[in-house]
Amino acid sequence: MKHKSILLLAAKAVLTLTTCVLICWIAPWLYHFATDRTHRTPFTLYSSVTGEFASIVHENGQNSYIGQSGQRYTEAQFDSILPMFYYRQLIADERLPDTLFGQAINPRTIQTENFIFRTMPAEVNKKTIPLYPLLESMSGRVDLEMPSDVFRITGKGIEFIDMESNRTDTAKSRLFTDALLRKGFAFPAQIVSGNGTTRKEYDNGYLLTDSSHKLYNLRMVQGRPYVRKIDMPDGLIPEHMFVTEFRNRRWIGFIADNRQRFWVLETGTYQFRQVELPPFSPSNTSMTIIGNMFDWTVILENQESGMLIAIDAGSLRKIKTMKTAQPTLTVAERIGEKIPQLRFLSPLDKKVFPYFN
Amino acid sequence: MNAFFYKEWLKNRWFYLLSAAFSLLLCLYVTLNLHRLCNLRGAAHFWEAALTKDAIFIQLLHYMPLLLGIAAALVQFIPEMLQKRIKLTLHLPCNYFYSIGSMLLFGLCMLCCIFLLNLSALGIALRSIFAPEIVSRILLTALPWYLSGLTAYVLCAWICLEPNWKRRVLNGIVSACVLRIFFMSDTPEAYNRFLPILAVYTLLICALPFISVERFKTGKD
Repeated sequence: MKHKSILLLAAKAVLTLTTCVLICWIAPWLYHFATDRTHRTPFTLYSSVTGEFASIVHENGQNSYIGQSGQRYTEAQFDSILPMFYYRQLIADERLPDTLFGQAINPRTIQTENFIFRTMPAEVNKKTIPLYPLLESMSGRVDLEMPSDVFRITGKGIEFIDMESNRTDTAKSRLFTDALLRKGFAFPAQIVSGNGTTRKEYDNGYLLTDSSHKLYNLRMVQGRPYVRKIDMPDGLIPEHMFVTEFRNRRWIGFIADNRQRFWVLETGTYQFRQVELPPFSPSNTSMTIIGNMFDWTVILENQESGMLIAIDAGSLRKIKTMKTAQPTLTVAERIGEKIPQLRFLSPLDKKVFPYFN
Repeated sequence: MNAFFYKEWLKNRWFYLLSAAFSLLLCLYVTLNLHRLCNLRGAAHFWEAALTKDAIFIQLLHYMPLLLGIAAALVQFIPEMLQKRIKLTLHLPCNYFYSIGSMLLFGLCMLCCIFLLNLSALGIALRSIFAPEIVSRILLTALPWYLSGLTAYVLCAWICLEPNWKRRVLNGIVSACVLRIFFMSDTPEAYNRFLPILAVYTLLICALPFISVERFKTGKD
């Protein structure tokens, strides 16, 4: 009898808890579903021609082209003040200048120097399978090919697994492990970063940090290991690394360190250069860089706010900053922002776990 | 308890044998199909899909454990309610805590056995194609689906044993919302951190059917 009443009490407690959790989850969701609207963020780029940011704002079903100081442009004028971004339109209109800021430009150089880099917290924090394809960096062929094996890094060395047979290639594993050990690599690896895809023009291999946070570049050249130990400035401990394979071949990668600084790693010299950005952590802030030979527009956005920073492409110093325009909220939306909501899907890592917004 | 288990086995053995055969055949179909495709296109293609496109290859099994859990509860408890056999069970000279508890435990044990068989078969078949890292990702992605099957069984038993129709509808709404939580993301391994909490919750809601039984016993029709 006593057991029965305890059980019933426990059952009622579980039911009450379940109901409370469901109400905290569904009631605010219904409110947001009924009141929230989609907000368009204006597309903004830095113009080296005008020396300020310029945006495309969607107003009353039409696009308006507005400078940071409020000046309005026509569509053709907007193309002209952003010649590196709209160069194809300028070519079509026969309006592309042959020099800009004293530098000769042509479609080929513009295309080579333009790049777009994007990183989002959901991608950075996502759990990935620790198996990586190592492409041939110097095959002599124009098109890259996917290898027939992938590698994993264990506490003892690097292991290559042949995908068809699902077996370890012991000879190749030994060759690469020895090459890494010769350069002082201390297994296991802390960070392994690379782009294991053929959708790129060339291959920069992988950036690895070993168990003592030393940085290495690993590539496969003509089937042989190429390992380069990279000296880092004092106090730099990489936290997130992104191998870049842009057309201009200037950089091996971008690195965000534990002090929220952002660095570029140059090709050839393996020198680090710091980019003058506000503190940036890829695990909670998304970054988009739209770069050209004169300047970069860096867009940093997190859940609270957004910021645009113009960077000089040569010196990597800050030119100008601007806060992202905040959308005007209705009264219902402002109330909705204040209602705590139990959520399960985190926008930061795509994982399911309960949290209060 | 053994007598109750034996009674439930006699009543439901064909359902559980068929369920085990059906789910194993589905697992076999999924993995044999994958083997066939690997022979046609090469295993490397599927390794790449797993590594770069988050492919898990067993999407066909997504709702299978959930449906099995619901079906198991319906097959076990609906005849009890329709033929008023539950009244007889509750009048047996033993505490209903033991009688209904044994019935629920039997269903949960049988489902656990079927699900473990499924996961073991999948693990063995996939391991012959993929590295352990990929196999563990696929199985960890499938774990919340299987856990949803156990939860669905308990919640469905809670609904079936409830004597009042209005309450049944309310219980059904709560159950649907609870089960939705198990299917909130298609991202592989999205539930890794949440799984222990869901497992404990599944254990806790095993108490819910006793509310329905108590209401049945006190005649809240």
